[in-house]
Amino acid sequence: MNFFAATLESLGAKLVGWFDVGYGMFAFLARALMLLLDPATWNRATFDVVIKQVYFTAVQILHVFLGYALVISWLIITIILSTAREFGLTEFATEMAIRVLVLELLPFLTALFIALRSGSAINTEVALMRVNNELDALDHCKVPPMQFEFLPRLIGGVVSVVTLATLAGLVALLLAYLSIYGMSMAGFEAFTRTVAKIFDFRIVAGLAMKCALFGLAVTLIPVTAGLETPKKLFMVPVSVLRGMMRVFFAIVAIEVMSLALKYI
Amino acid sequence: MAALPDDVARVALDLPLRANLSALDNVALIPLYQRHLDAAEAVRQALAVLDALGHADIAPLRDPDMTPAQRFVTQLARALMLKRPRLVIDRPGAMLYDVPYPEFIKRLAAQPAMTGTWEIFDFGWNQALYPQ
Repeated sequence: MNFFAATLESLGAKLVGWFDVGYGMFAFLARALMLLLDPATWNRATFDVVIKQVYFTAVQILHVFLGYALVISWLIITIILSTAREFGLTEFATEMAIRVLVLELLPFLTALFIALRSGSAINTEVALMRVNNELDALDHCKVPPMQFEFLPRLIGGVVSVVTLATLAGLVALLLAYLSIYGMSMAGFEAFTRTVAKIFDFRIVAGLAMKCALFGLAVTLIPVTAGLETPKKLFMVPVSVLRGMMRVFFAIVAIEVMSLALKYI
Repeated sequence: MAALPDDVARVALDLPLRANLSALDNVALIPLYQRHLDAAEAVRQALAVLDALGHADIAPLRDPDMTPAQRFVTQLARALMLKRPRLVIDRPGAMLYDVPYPEFIKRLAAQPAMTGTWEIFDFGWNQALYPQ
């Protein structure tokens, strides 16, 4: 009986903890959105920090990211083409390659890439800022941390994931064409027809929304996890661990939801 | 320390600099966000305050690269930039452990461009360091 009560109590505490984390995250997002709509937020200083964040998150890693997208796309396209040839389904190869790569795999890998590179850095930085009292110091100086530190990171994350996923998608489309038709322009009409058939308004809007949610997940979750850190230096790695686990689950949940909405 | 009113600019160990910004950027944040100046003007004003304290050379340094005295000067410049009626230096010994600090603060305060009164709060047992 005691064991049952203890299990129930621990489960209840976990549920309350998850609810607390979820509520904190959505409350933070609501505050960020309200600030986003406030014209006073959009001063030169905030705009400069946003540009800096987009540079650090997307531009600085562009060559590495495009190389990585190129290799992954080439591999997947080659696998799809050889499998399609083997089963006599070459006419579906283009559509298959585009659906797998541009709609699903590349946005997912982009989100993972940004999460591992920038999300973990954001989580660590915010946790250290909290532990070192830097946020209190900003508050004392009446420099709003939301406008100066957090909002630019959220915007930078969303802009970076959407832009990088779009660029990776374009690279994959180009590679798919070259792998199927080579340098000849003969297949251009058939290829563009397939592309147009796949990318109707609903799909494009869904893809944009998915990428934006990915971008939000890889920045919002690390920021809120960092802000939850108790003011003890040894808790910083624990905060990053928790934050990155949440990011992983959020990315997978967004991908699963998007797949379910599209195909079920 | 009890909470101080909003009209007090504090220089204290528990109000550190933003670690990933240079001394200049730490000070320039104030005019940038409070007075909504453009970046060039904010930087010019920040440099002027550091220069007035006789430490313009520390402008490009980030917190981890500063000596305790340089860090203190940057925190002081930030507090001066707030332009509040009172400036409180809270337990300077905790920040200035590499220099004889009453003299160091006196030298900073004696710079020609410095105005106003700086209030120092220190532990009672350090009273001997402050000859009346």
